[in-house]
Amino acid sequence: MTALFNDRRLQLLLLLAPGVGYLLFFFGTPLFQALRESLVTDQGDFTLMWYQRAFSRPSMVRGLTTSLYYGLAPVFVSLALSVPLSVLIRQSFIGRKLFNGLYKLPLAVPSLIAALAVIILAEQGGFLDRVLAHVGLSLPKIVRDDAGLGVIFTSAWKQVPFMTLIITSAFAAIPEDLRLAARAFGASRLQTFLRVEVPLAMPGISAAVLLTFIGSMGSYAIPDLVGPPSARPLSVLMVEGFKNGKFHEVYAMGMILSAFAIAVLIAYYTLTHRIGPQAVTGDER
Amino acid sequence: MSAIAAPVPLGEKRIRFTEEDRPLIAFGLFTALGLTVLLPLALMFLWSVADGWSPPNIVPAAYTGERWAAVLSNSDILNAGLTSLFVSVVVTLATAVIALPTAWAMARIPFRAKRLVEIFILAPMIIPGLVVAVGIGRLFLSLGLAYSISGVILVQIVGTLPLMIRLMTATLEGIPQELIHAARSLGAGTFGVLIHIILPLCVPGLLAGGLLSFVASFEEFDKTFIVGAPAVQTLPVRLYMYLDPYSMQLPMASVVAFLLLVPALIIFVIAGRVLRDDLMAAGMGKM
Amino acid sequence: MLDIQNITKDYGPSRALHPVSVSVDKGEFITILGPSGCGKSTLLRILMGISRPSSGEIHLAGKRIDPLPPEARDIAMVFQSYALFPHMSVEKNLGFGLRMKRVDKAEQKRRIAHALEICNLTALSARMPRQLSGGQQQRVALARAIVMQPSLMLFDEPLSNLDAKLRDSLRAELVDLHRKVGATSLYVTHDQAEAMAMSDRILVMNGGRVVESGSPVDLYRRPKHAFTAGFLGLTNLVPVRAHGLQAALPWDGDPVLLTEERNGIARMALRPEAIRLEKAHHSPAEVTSTTFLGSNVLHLVKVAGMELKVTRSGTEPILEPGARVAIAIDGLQHLLVESDSVEAA
Repeated sequence: MTALFNDRRLQLLLLLAPGVGYLLFFFGTPLFQALRESLVTDQGDFTLMWYQRAFSRPSMVRGLTTSLYYGLAPVFVSLALSVPLSVLIRQSFIGRKLFNGLYKLPLAVPSLIAALAVIILAEQGGFLDRVLAHVGLSLPKIVRDDAGLGVIFTSAWKQVPFMTLIITSAFAAIPEDLRLAARAFGASRLQTFLRVEVPLAMPGISAAVLLTFIGSMGSYAIPDLVGPPSARPLSVLMVEGFKNGKFHEVYAMGMILSAFAIAVLIAYYTLTHRIGPQAVTGDER
Repeated sequence: MSAIAAPVPLGEKRIRFTEEDRPLIAFGLFTALGLTVLLPLALMFLWSVADGWSPPNIVPAAYTGERWAAVLSNSDILNAGLTSLFVSVVVTLATAVIALPTAWAMARIPFRAKRLVEIFILAPMIIPGLVVAVGIGRLFLSLGLAYSISGVILVQIVGTLPLMIRLMTATLEGIPQELIHAARSLGAGTFGVLIHIILPLCVPGLLAGGLLSFVASFEEFDKTFIVGAPAVQTLPVRLYMYLDPYSMQLPMASVVAFLLLVPALIIFVIAGRVLRDDLMAAGMGKM
Repeated sequence: MLDIQNITKDYGPSRALHPVSVSVDKGEFITILGPSGCGKSTLLRILMGISRPSSGEIHLAGKRIDPLPPEARDIAMVFQSYALFPHMSVEKNLGFGLRMKRVDKAEQKRRIAHALEICNLTALSARMPRQLSGGQQQRVALARAIVMQPSLMLFDEPLSNLDAKLRDSLRAELVDLHRKVGATSLYVTHDQAEAMAMSDRILVMNGGRVVESGSPVDLYRRPKHAFTAGFLGLTNLVPVRAHGLQAALPWDGDPVLLTEERNGIARMALRPEAIRLEKAHHSPAEVTSTTFLGSNVLHLVKVAGMELKVTRSGTEPILEPGARVAIAIDGLQHLLVESDSVEAA
């Protein structure tokens, strides 16, 4: 028995078993089942019908493009806010420490509450609308609107602190000497930022982009609550299909969503691989 | 949302800020923060205590504690709160117990397929939770775990486990081998090393992972909704019901939102004190 | 070429740099030497333009530069951490400054090729910094400064991250390169051996002040201040009574001959290698410790209530502790100028 226990291979297997085993059973199996189910008919014969449907039926195609749209648009909005924000909070200003603590608050706010906040604030008849009404204006429809602005705002609201946090630490990881070197060799502040800091922070920035994209693309609660009924993303269609027992269709959509996520992940790895992990910490020492 | 309105100068304007400009930056940042983060939370609170708040009014006409009283005496909501708490505690503990041995193997034992195992462990962070949920939902239907609290706990662990293993692996990797050798040479056995050296050094990692797992579980909606609702009602599921576009109840939703938010914010503040920023980002973003 | 006039730096009420004035001639290699916290880094930051002086002016090649931002100064820098841009190849690193200064493309190519060649890097031009060894990275950092053909080259302890052997060989290479390139150079270090081996002139700093400056030989042989004597190699501070060109030592023996006339009590910095020991059975001086260092031997000798450090060539017979010795002093000696407010700081 002791001899068996001392066997290194067995030891390794026993240690890995709880975590990997759990994930194999509760993550791997259902995912594999889903993949299989998406490829067979009700009778159990192989078919690509469900995928064909997903790419040809108008409501499904709409779902596909909407998922991508809800994945991408908030990322652009968040990026446009997070990069300047992380540059700004690096400066010293009054109350910087307080701001540093407060801006992260939305990290602790679940999507449902973010959606509620947007509804209260920006829905027609909501707070902003009432304020504008007092000066004789009216707020355009930005919650459950056809362009999905409500979804984009809500997702971005959750993402900006997360992105800012990652991008700030990516900037902070750049050795001060590199900044000084760029200045000493004739680069202005802006040139230093664009040619040295941004390229070096790129792994961090793209990781943030990747994670926020995957998060908002697969989100169900936000588009369901503040998205328009006219354009529903795959996630919403999946929940509806699941409730109606259309499993094959649901799993085909799930596989497509996962494929998007994996594709983005692979793109991320090929993109950052060229710079290499040491790029962020500067020279090897 | 109104995050758009943040008056943040863009990169092109990165002129050297003089001392006089700094109050301006501070003012701009805090205004943006107030409008985008604090104002919505304040409005939510007003909704929870408003006694009628019909359109033209910018602030409620009258206030009442009735909603809070109603919620706090409503056994459905109290039960939902207790369910949430129970699920989160069990999920957190189970996650830690399952994660530790695996993290130890990942951190300290070299083996060939390690990279592959690592990718597999992190995969649940990449695959959308909803996809996992619909897959598991079907499985649980056949196992009889659907619409049960145990089912909800099992599915939530899929979400919290990867992060915990990752955090613990990083923590365990940070324990110098010399320390273990030193303890051995001073007469500690395997068990002694575990109790006196490894566990104490794991505390920061465990604390970080535990707090993040708790919040993630407490706020989890997608997977719980698919696997457990309507039989199992946690606070987020309850909140979702109040937010149904066809029967929306903003005052009740606001009260439940606060019940959900307050524990999360408290843990967030504690976590902010114990955690490094990057860990926090990784955790809260369920990276 | 470089003219530093009365530069000071205050941080709030505390003064990090007392008025410093230095002028460096074209092509000169000058070293600022001092322990950490002596103000040398503050001075370097001011020269680079990252930090503004509280008062004073700096002129470089006839132009006042202290109000200018770093990028507008004609200065190139070699960093302690090398600070190579990790996302650029060796060649791109070299070209960075030239691109920033919009140097003509053909000229860029020519200068880069030349710098690669003289720094022995031509074969590595396509490599990324992380693929280079420490010594190679250091040479790239050097080449990156050389291509700029700056009016002034600054060196911030560039050899301190290398191991001892590599440091010696790179030190020789650096001296050689300076001879070839002829750039006006200001080198900051806390390593006295490095300073003595490389510099035309050394500026010794302590406590935010310049203690003294001079050629390596002058500073070593004829230091004016005890701090300099102590910082540049081993020394014995011996109180003496001077009379004309002679000085009496605190123990019995021949008086020491002086380089210049002085009268009264003074201190002398006696180098360990300037003291000769002979076995003498009834002498009051006694060897208390002996340390064999290979090429030489360090003895501690107790005499007149002091402990003298004495080095003897490793080829001489070794004196065992307890041996009685007679002490003689070689050559002309120099007395310290005692006005050392700097030492208190």
